[in-house]
Amino acid sequence: MSSSAVMRTVPRSRGRGWKNARKWVLPIGGIAVMVVFLAPYVVMLLDALRPSGEVLATPPAFLPKTWTASAFVQVVSDPAFQNWLRTSLVVAVSATLIVILVAIPAAYFTARFSFRGRILFLGLVVVTQMFAPTSLVVGIYREFYDLGLINTYTALILTDAAFNIAFALWILQGFFSAIPKDIEEAAALDGCGRFGTMVRIMLPLTLPGIVTAVTFTFIAAWNEYVVALTLMQDDALKPLTVGISSYVTAYQQNWSQLFAASLIAIVPVVILFALIEKHLVGGMTAGAVK
Amino acid sequence: MKKSVRWGAIVAAAAITSMTLASCGASGGSTTAKSGDVKSIKVVIAEYSKDHTKTFWDAFSKTYEKQTGVKLNLQIINWNDLDQQSSTMIQTGNVPDILNENAYASYAADGLLYSADEVLPAATKADIIPAFVKSGTYNGKFYGMPDLSSARALFYNTDLFSAAGISKAPTTWDEFTADAKKVTAIGNGAVGYAQPLGPEEAQAEFAIWLFNNGGDFKKNGKWTINSKQNVATLQYLKDLSVKDKVTQNNPGGTNRTDGAFSLFEQGKAGMVVGFSPLQGALDTQYTGVKYAIAPMPTGDNAAPQTYGVTDYLMSFKKKGNQDAVKAFYKLYYSPSQINTWIKAEGFLPVTTSGLAKFKDDPKLKVYLDTLPNIHLTPTDDPEWDKIKLTIQQNIGLAVAPNGDPKKFLDDLQAQAEAGK
Amino acid sequence: MGGRSRRQRRARGTASVAEALLWLGPALVLIVGIVLYPAITLVATSFGTYSITGLRKGDAGISNYTNFLTSPDLPRVIGNTGVWVGAVVVLTVLIGLALAQFLSKEFVGRRFVRWAVIVPWASALVISSQLFKLIYDYYHGVLNQLLLSLHIIQKPIDWLGDNHFTMASMIAVGVFVSVPFTAYLLVAGLNAIPADVYEAARIDGGSPWQIYRRITLPLLRPAILIGVVLNLIYVFNSFPVIWILNGSNPGFGNDTLITYMYKLAFRSAQHDVGLSAAAGVFNVLIILIAVGVYLRLVNWREGKEA
Repeated sequence: MSSSAVMRTVPRSRGRGWKNARKWVLPIGGIAVMVVFLAPYVVMLLDALRPSGEVLATPPAFLPKTWTASAFVQVVSDPAFQNWLRTSLVVAVSATLIVILVAIPAAYFTARFSFRGRILFLGLVVVTQMFAPTSLVVGIYREFYDLGLINTYTALILTDAAFNIAFALWILQGFFSAIPKDIEEAAALDGCGRFGTMVRIMLPLTLPGIVTAVTFTFIAAWNEYVVALTLMQDDALKPLTVGISSYVTAYQQNWSQLFAASLIAIVPVVILFALIEKHLVGGMTAGAVK
Repeated sequence: MKKSVRWGAIVAAAAITSMTLASCGASGGSTTAKSGDVKSIKVVIAEYSKDHTKTFWDAFSKTYEKQTGVKLNLQIINWNDLDQQSSTMIQTGNVPDILNENAYASYAADGLLYSADEVLPAATKADIIPAFVKSGTYNGKFYGMPDLSSARALFYNTDLFSAAGISKAPTTWDEFTADAKKVTAIGNGAVGYAQPLGPEEAQAEFAIWLFNNGGDFKKNGKWTINSKQNVATLQYLKDLSVKDKVTQNNPGGTNRTDGAFSLFEQGKAGMVVGFSPLQGALDTQYTGVKYAIAPMPTGDNAAPQTYGVTDYLMSFKKKGNQDAVKAFYKLYYSPSQINTWIKAEGFLPVTTSGLAKFKDDPKLKVYLDTLPNIHLTPTDDPEWDKIKLTIQQNIGLAVAPNGDPKKFLDDLQAQAEAGK
Repeated sequence: MGGRSRRQRRARGTASVAEALLWLGPALVLIVGIVLYPAITLVATSFGTYSITGLRKGDAGISNYTNFLTSPDLPRVIGNTGVWVGAVVVLTVLIGLALAQFLSKEFVGRRFVRWAVIVPWASALVISSQLFKLIYDYYHGVLNQLLLSLHIIQKPIDWLGDNHFTMASMIAVGVFVSVPFTAYLLVAGLNAIPADVYEAARIDGGSPWQIYRRITLPLLRPAILIGVVLNLIYVFNSFPVIWILNGSNPGFGNDTLITYMYKLAFRSAQHDVGLSAAAGVFNVLIILIAVGVYLRLVNWREGKEA
């Protein structure tokens, strides 16, 4: 099993019948999958496109009686919403960057080297994942209060990063340890140092893992609620998740605006994913050593 | 590769710098200054509506800062999360200066609050409607300053009533049951009475019915939760759904906001117990629903009782904040502030001057007339804060087909007495 | 492709603790500083007596733990948690495996399918749960409307209020929102399998199912392992789905340990953050045991070395 063989994509060969059938079976299956996963959000879209008073109509109607995009217009032109969007973007992007920068070396190192305390470290990483954020929020608040960081992006970014390192580290570690050692040795012979080996040889090979970790961290930070609720006091510094909860309160319900805002909030995530999605595939093929 | 390394360094450096900078800032300008008066106060406000709450309090903060030179740090929190957030602040010793909540007595019992003697100008206190002073008084001292109030009344759909051949609102429980049956008989999804006994606000629904049956939670300083009137009331509420079948499906699992109110707003419910924010929604968003408002029907042939609710603005004892807090109340209770706020949110006043100001509003008249004699729950007893939660959480089980109203109230009485 | 040579090639080098600190330092600082410290606060809270307001009144010894462990609702809540976690994790991983396999095939428009599958994951859980609450609603939900118009049911079903359906309805949503993440984790895992392995198997004349069982599944093992463990943790700790879908129901009949913990602190007669903290510590121990048992069941170490 030479490394050059690993790097080649091999066309899949099966029966001729299947070869012809898959041309249309797979796309039809794809449409079915899309319908299943999008259907609830089509309901959400239709609710966002009707007057708020129609959302809880009894009996319900699939299509709006009155079509209106006013909820979208109101949400987008709401300065509060723009602030929340900015917070969410700043926090999620920063937290994701930190996680990737911090988790990659740690994952590479724990995958490749034995050292005293390795098991302890990995154990710590897993166990800290097990605490429900709701039960930790008091301690987080106390800590950032003592640091004078309540109501700052920094607090939220560091928390989101800290909570997602474990996942990134774990998945990346799996990818690093799956890479055959001889690839790395070849690189070492070429004169790459440990760090150079990691960056030039190993990273391209673990790209699917990195994409997964980036997607995961970004979404987790994007959708975090309880810590942001606790740490951010100024309305302008709240992220989307916390901000949009104000569209529906006990005394005033604006369902169409809530759903319009929620749909808009999904868009950046899908865009990010669309940009990096192709790297989910073919990490092994893309990472030719020479 | 070089690029990513440099980026890492920049991010790390930025994180460290901002951490150190911010912590330096905190030690200088914190609210717990060692001597003298505070430079800022933290005010935690409940979010009543997205449209009005922030608008009012932002403007209020500006006026307050201009008047006093003290910075007002405003935090607006959703009602659903308020309890958790205030608890977090108190657990970590970072109490706000002013907290807007629907309960105060437990905070007073913990010795955390200023009483009116310390922070409320005498003229302001004199202006507050006596019923609210009473409900805000714990152990002889006035701690729970009311921010606004609401009162409940019976809303009925006049279209459904005429379709069912009913000419006027019911005044007794027998009439109520009969009318609800007639509306239900119309069919086409019509429900006689929309009954919210789910966890959101079940204590309000239960309270308004039992007050109108001669019952109460507490009388002469003693808990009377399992009194004969209360048991009869809960049995009546259960019969409406289980025996007479005049309510919507599963009242014990129906919340007020997205359940009972929405049925009424969709024109499907003949009757519901409502308040002025529901009226606001009906007059703006659900204009197709023709409705009228009447006093509650009674089960004991006595005069109807109006159930009322007030939320509180309590203030926490902290070094050097007394004057700032006093200035806060002085400004809040000035007619131009409090009345603007109450009008915007569509609630009812808590001051005599406010009563005078709103008395010409035809929409509020039905409530305002009853406001001075309003009947409140025992919010002045810290134990009530837990009783209320038990009712919210469990009353739905008591009115289910296999539920036992008497046992539920007996248990609740035992809980209340054990807490004493 | 002998397992022995593979293992040798994966053997780890050794490094000093100092060097380890250099590589792991930043991660360690963040995890210890921001996750571990609050965890210690949680444990400290669980040994305190607290007023309803959150004010600490004194030490509680172990009374919060004994009160929690003897509370009459606990057996029911633990049972619910078992059903919830078991059903959601098993269904999620099975559906995720199938979907991952599908999404790694090449076909026209695959990119759009992948974008679509990301949507339930990209949407905040709080909002998706709100959405499903409306969809399930007895009076204004489109689910009943759809089933009625297709004549699948004759009268509306109270999906969330009728105890026969509540848990199943919540599980469906739990699976729906967990599948995308799991599927992508497994897609990444599938793509890490060297293509020559398949080639070799095909030359040996294996059927697709044989190849899947003998080659793909074993090589996907690390990814599945991570998927199961993470889902165990996340599904156990999942709050919004149950909190919102079960939000109109009285009592604790459909609560899991996580929503029960929250109710103990803020919504129940106890209204006690000390008691709730004890529940929080108990919860972590339960997950720890669950994950430990799972890893033991699948022979984690052997799997790694064989």
